[in-house]
Amino acid sequence: MRSAWTAELVKVLTVRGFRAGAVLAGLALPLTSLLVVSSGGLGDADTLTSGAATGSMSSLVAYAAWAAVVAGSEYTQRTIVVSLATVPRRPVLYGAKVAAAATIAAAGAAAGAVVSLLVVAAVTPSGHRLGDPPALLGVVLASGAAAVVGAAIGVLTRSSTGSIAVVIAALLLPRAAAGLLGGLQPWIVGASPGTVVTQFVQGAQLAADHAYPGGAALAAVTMLLVALAVATLGGLAFARRDG
Amino acid sequence: MPPESPTTSRPGLAVEVEDASKVIEGVTVLDRVSFTALPGRITAFLGPNGAGKSTTLRAILGIDHLTSGRAAIGGRPFREHPQPVRVAGALLSPDAVHPGRTARGHLSVVAASNGLPRASVAAAIDLVGLADIATVPFGQMSLGMRQRLGLATALIGDPAVVILDEPHNGLDAAAIRWLRAVLRALADAGRTVLVSSHLMGEVEQVADDVVLIDEGRVLAAAPLRELVGSDAPGALEDHYLDLVGSR
Repeated sequence: MRSAWTAELVKVLTVRGFRAGAVLAGLALPLTSLLVVSSGGLGDADTLTSGAATGSMSSLVAYAAWAAVVAGSEYTQRTIVVSLATVPRRPVLYGAKVAAAATIAAAGAAAGAVVSLLVVAAVTPSGHRLGDPPALLGVVLASGAAAVVGAAIGVLTRSSTGSIAVVIAALLLPRAAAGLLGGLQPWIVGASPGTVVTQFVQGAQLAADHAYPGGAALAAVTMLLVALAVATLGGLAFARRDG
Repeated sequence: MPPESPTTSRPGLAVEVEDASKVIEGVTVLDRVSFTALPGRITAFLGPNGAGKSTTLRAILGIDHLTSGRAAIGGRPFREHPQPVRVAGALLSPDAVHPGRTARGHLSVVAASNGLPRASVAAAIDLVGLADIATVPFGQMSLGMRQRLGLATALIGDPAVVILDEPHNGLDAAAIRWLRAVLRALADAGRTVLVSSHLMGEVEQVADDVVLIDEGRVLAAAPLRELVGSDAPGALEDHYLDLVGSR
């Protein structure tokens, strides 16, 4: 498994577009946060930490789309033939693929969160509290989960472009359709990756109908379980289909 | 053209296909295919386009699932071997490399996937004569270069079994001669070589055994000389066309 995981990392490192995509997804957080904060978007009650997480949704979408493109490209470029001929145990290959996407997204998100905090601190007028920087762990967890879902959808759709549309819809629909969810709204919206981040960094300010009933930690666990379920669906399809 | 060829002696493993059938959306593409490719011999896998050659080769490697029957290398399914590229190396499609990845990058992925040392990447590049263009993106390579990279992919693990699907496509005369020498050296070193081709003249020169398939069924599986009953040039082509027709 470790060799297969390493190979998946090397796959990303050896294609310029994949490398650039990962870097851009990591930069999406500090750049969006900078844009919001520098245009006066930080309220009096906001902390530097919550300001640093402002752009988290753009980063989540970017990592999910990136993971979907990388996974889907195995089919659009037909490289899956070589992948299966060198790692024929499908659960190992698929697990390595998903784990590598999550690893890169989580590492990139961690770096992006630190940069975002530094940037926001640099451009924000004094008077704002630092807040709780470890809460940015929520960005790391959500980015990893988004990448897992993206990779799984890339394998399910076998298409780079098609999978982007699906992952963006999967990430944005819960919030966009919140009003249609009735009593399920806090359970579904509250466990969506973007809201999980918000609950981590500024839980007290979140509207009650968006806050997960069990709190931020349970929301994160639910999010990870949903990501695991989507990954399992992708794995089952991967095992059954021809390469 | 690289002067070297892989000749380290290693015990070969037989490739066994038994009653392999595959049905896709109601269409039978393999119909109880059975044959064995033996160590130390070059087995040519022949048949017209759409006969089921590629599907069979993919099934041996577990890339495609069989509806029934079995395909094994060394007595067990390919996926059950702990270090697959040491067991079987394959060239199934010369285009199965990301266009933005270089030859070195592609082989680095393959080497990493099976824990091969980094030196194996350089050795494989040298073996197929790609050292000068090792850093050129795959998308900028000619078909001949792509075939060579495919061969490097197949040989990087110094495998006991080599499976090549139409490896002659895109190769120039010198490269075909080189490939002939490589295949012979592999078989002489005890490896199992299973190669599909449409070039009957080439097959006549290198093959020890022939498996002939058409419409998903094996029409013949025998040593080349036994099958054609003659050493005369063109005898295999005549026999082939007799069996599959000239359509």
